[in-house]
Amino acid sequence: MGQPTLVNTVVSEPIVKVQGFSKSYRKKLAVDGVDLAINKGEIYGLIGPDGAGKSTLMKAIAGVLTYDGGQVEVFGEIIDSEAAAEKIKGRIGFMPQGLGQNLYAELSVEENIDFFAQLREVSREQLISRKRKLLAMTRLDKFTNRPMKLLSGGMKQKLGLVCTLIHEPELIILDEPTTGVDPVSRRDFWAILTALLREQNIAALVSTAYMDEATRFQQLSLMYDGKVIAEGEPDQIIAKVPGTLVELIARPQAVALSQLKSIFQQVEAVGAVLRVFVEGQEEEAAIKQVKSLLSGQEVSEIHASQAEMEDAFIALLSQANLTDSETAPSIDTNQASEIDASQKDKLAIEAENLCRDFGDFRAVDQVSFQVRYGEIFGLLGANGAGKSTVFKMLTGILQPTGGEGKVAGQDMLRANQAIKERIGYMSQAFSLYQDMTVLENIRLYARIYAVARKELKQRVDWVIATAGLQGVENRLAGALPMGIRQRLALGCALVHQPKVLFLDEPTSGVDPVGRRRFWDILIQMARVEQVAILVTTHYMSEAEHCDHLALMYAGRIIADATPEQMKEALVKAAGELLEVTTDQPLLALKLIEQAGFEEAALFGKKIHLLAKEPQLVRQQIESIFTENNITLHSISHRHPSLEDVFVYQVMTHENEMARHEY
Amino acid sequence: MSLMARITEGKSYHWWSRMAAMTGKELLQLGRDTVLVCAVLYLFTLDVLMAGGVKMDLNQGAVVVHDSDHSMASRELIYRFQPPYFKLSGEILNEKEGIQLLDQGEALVVLDIPPKFQHDLLQGKPAAVQVQVDASNTVLGSLAASYSSQIIGQYGFDAALQRMGLTGESLETVPMLDDRHRVWYNPNQKDAWFMSISELLTVITILAMMLPAAAAVREKERGTIEQLLVSPLTPMQILLPKVISMTLVILLGTALSVGLILHGVFDVPMKGSLPLFFLVTALYTFAMSGLGLFVSTMSRNLAQAAMLVIMIMMPIILLSGAWTPPEAMPEVIRQAMYFSPLYYYIEMAYGILLKGAGLAVLWDSLLGLTMLGSVVFLFGVWRFKRQFG
Repeated sequence: MGQPTLVNTVVSEPIVKVQGFSKSYRKKLAVDGVDLAINKGEIYGLIGPDGAGKSTLMKAIAGVLTYDGGQVEVFGEIIDSEAAAEKIKGRIGFMPQGLGQNLYAELSVEENIDFFAQLREVSREQLISRKRKLLAMTRLDKFTNRPMKLLSGGMKQKLGLVCTLIHEPELIILDEPTTGVDPVSRRDFWAILTALLREQNIAALVSTAYMDEATRFQQLSLMYDGKVIAEGEPDQIIAKVPGTLVELIARPQAVALSQLKSIFQQVEAVGAVLRVFVEGQEEEAAIKQVKSLLSGQEVSEIHASQAEMEDAFIALLSQANLTDSETAPSIDTNQASEIDASQKDKLAIEAENLCRDFGDFRAVDQVSFQVRYGEIFGLLGANGAGKSTVFKMLTGILQPTGGEGKVAGQDMLRANQAIKERIGYMSQAFSLYQDMTVLENIRLYARIYAVARKELKQRVDWVIATAGLQGVENRLAGALPMGIRQRLALGCALVHQPKVLFLDEPTSGVDPVGRRRFWDILIQMARVEQVAILVTTHYMSEAEHCDHLALMYAGRIIADATPEQMKEALVKAAGELLEVTTDQPLLALKLIEQAGFEEAALFGKKIHLLAKEPQLVRQQIESIFTENNITLHSISHRHPSLEDVFVYQVMTHENEMARHEY
Repeated sequence: MSLMARITEGKSYHWWSRMAAMTGKELLQLGRDTVLVCAVLYLFTLDVLMAGGVKMDLNQGAVVVHDSDHSMASRELIYRFQPPYFKLSGEILNEKEGIQLLDQGEALVVLDIPPKFQHDLLQGKPAAVQVQVDASNTVLGSLAASYSSQIIGQYGFDAALQRMGLTGESLETVPMLDDRHRVWYNPNQKDAWFMSISELLTVITILAMMLPAAAAVREKERGTIEQLLVSPLTPMQILLPKVISMTLVILLGTALSVGLILHGVFDVPMKGSLPLFFLVTALYTFAMSGLGLFVSTMSRNLAQAAMLVIMIMMPIILLSGAWTPPEAMPEVIRQAMYFSPLYYYIEMAYGILLKGAGLAVLWDSLLGLTMLGSVVFLFGVWRFKRQFG
């Protein structure tokens, strides 16, 4: 390996230059007039919901898709023909969308890597050394003989990355590499990319649908509906929408929520906290405005902070008039104030020592938790952690091997059928009939759940109003955009007015606007109708919405608390989260790692690390920077995210289990 | 009315209401699937029509002649190979060429007439001709062989009579057997009757398995089964509507086919009771749908299901007598035929449609189908319930 090049801000010619790019499928314009430039040593991000045109653009840059207008230049070569594309393909690594999409399910980890090496004509010696290094980096070295199909989602994706990197490309193009991947694997993924950037000075083009990954990029384009709506460094984009994020706790929440909604465009309930984006206001003025609006309520813990990418994205969309103008579901506030806190302490779901074995394998091990009516309870965990199995047992599809439980007041071992009549369920994959219309689907489920004939029309109307499905009643479910489909699925799950709702990864793949609207409905159900909601997710920004979380790992619950408590526990156990801002993040990261902070991670041009003694660590970092002549802009304190919590918890347990094995 | 009775009545109302909702859903989905609807329509109409148009007769089989005699007699024999059965398609100069034409499939029959053929006939000596037949298609081959031997035999007979001076009226003094057949049930021996009915029964067999299998596998493939399993529906309420709706579709298709094609085009007489025929068809469809459900539990997608349906269908058809009559089967296979539901169904369908038979005659077949059908159907239901219960 050559001498590491650490200069990444000094830029020569860009590696990729795209000008006025457009592409249509049949008559539908998929991408319209996009410009972008990617430099060496840069992770360039394409962020946008499904169908924004990210994949189309990436495929054209990888030379595997023709385009209609504009120009794509890669390594100085204009990609306008197959011959031109052939010339650059050897220097590019491309990983298409979908977990393990480019891999062979029946081949083992090692066989997959060897196959790609052969395809790319990598010499024997190079293969051996690269393979060893990449397998160690991805922590796949223990699984070299395992067939690809038996890997978890995160592992598949890491293997896909290894296969993409085996010929040491100078430009890697990764299409949604972290979609459907658990937070720990996502962290690994970013660590590998960072290391490559540092050691080989490559360039990477990475797309994602997760707004919270935006800070990982040096440069990014926000895409929506085939257009770039903003471009630049993450901070620059957020700065495009001046405003302040105000967070507060108000009681009763539902009332405060509807009051805020009447004035502000972006209001969201995240667990107990209300999040309001006040456009165009400085911190103090924003707090004052929010407070005056909620004069009648009991308001506490109000504070202001900088907006996040998602707030900026939604604000930019509405500025460009790109959000659809459907009205958000209205909340009946009169009712809300009456019931709030009435049923609070009744249990909707009780799981006690639930176990489930599949052969010799214990998928769920002594799981216990409780969900109250009106509570949104999140069950977190990576693929294969046992979330779905717990779900299946509680919904009566699967018999537990041991333990017991009650759902909606019914014994889950005995009253299977009664439970099924009392719960609503929405699965991860869209599991309604795509060849039936919205109305037909709702009616079918109303009849399956034996909604009385005279109430049928009223219930169907209620579902359409609550789920915001006005105007699409007679369209086929399969022809609807993802966000609306998920709301339809939720509506069908609510048609018989269940008091307990089970949601399995409800909003994966839905754009931020759609996700917020979805959660609005859930909040209404929980706060107003006192429905108990159990959600599984490995999507951390979804987890932030929950009132209470249980984190699963290897079939067991390893943490059970509110999001806030979890974050506090993290700070107690691992220290505070520090964010270091500098001009030379790659060099700085290396030095920080050498100083003993192995978990330090690169976020765009910033470095995150956990510090038990923040004062001491600050001094230590400052001295490292002065010794090496690196400019230090700032070291600031950040609130840890749930992703930080998840990663820390899982890593701690992983290490513990590894110790037990020896 | 006691409280308990009211509750049970409420429950049974829900039970039926759920069944009706699910059956309606199946029909709606089938109706939306344009490809499937077209396939079903095609199978019940054009496919049966084509099958009825197929003839098992020899039609203009190519005959080439190696005539080494070139005489009046040889020419007369040659000209007796006439359409519709045969067609003279040229003369060859040597035997080798004849073999070659057989090999290439250009000729079905090679007729070899030796030198001195006429001379020997006139002399009253036995004269031989050689006929070579391509029997790679056994039906055509045996028909060609039998027709040519009839032609040649007749020619020999005529030549003999002529030589004996027996012509015209004097023929009547010779004792001869007059062989008069009475052909029952299909007096004109129209192949179309047999073929179209046989094809219709095959179509019913395929669809009775394939439609419920496809409906069930589609739910698995698209993940919609999950949503049904967490609902209060019992496995029976999930599978029975599929069977019921698909049976309805098949009965409708059968009615279309019987009315439009069998009766309308081919004039099949429909001697027996049509209600009985549809009753039997419904019973048979139910039985076969059991196999369809079994297939759906074995396969993960539509392609696998289709493969399995073909695999299961083949022996059922082969052992049914649809393509070859039981009389042509070896004893072991004749015993195995009792395990093909189609065997009983064919027996009854031909009986009702062509012979006008009623239950008095067909009760044993009906009993057989009911017993075998129940076993098959319950087996499918058991598999389905085990997988999704």
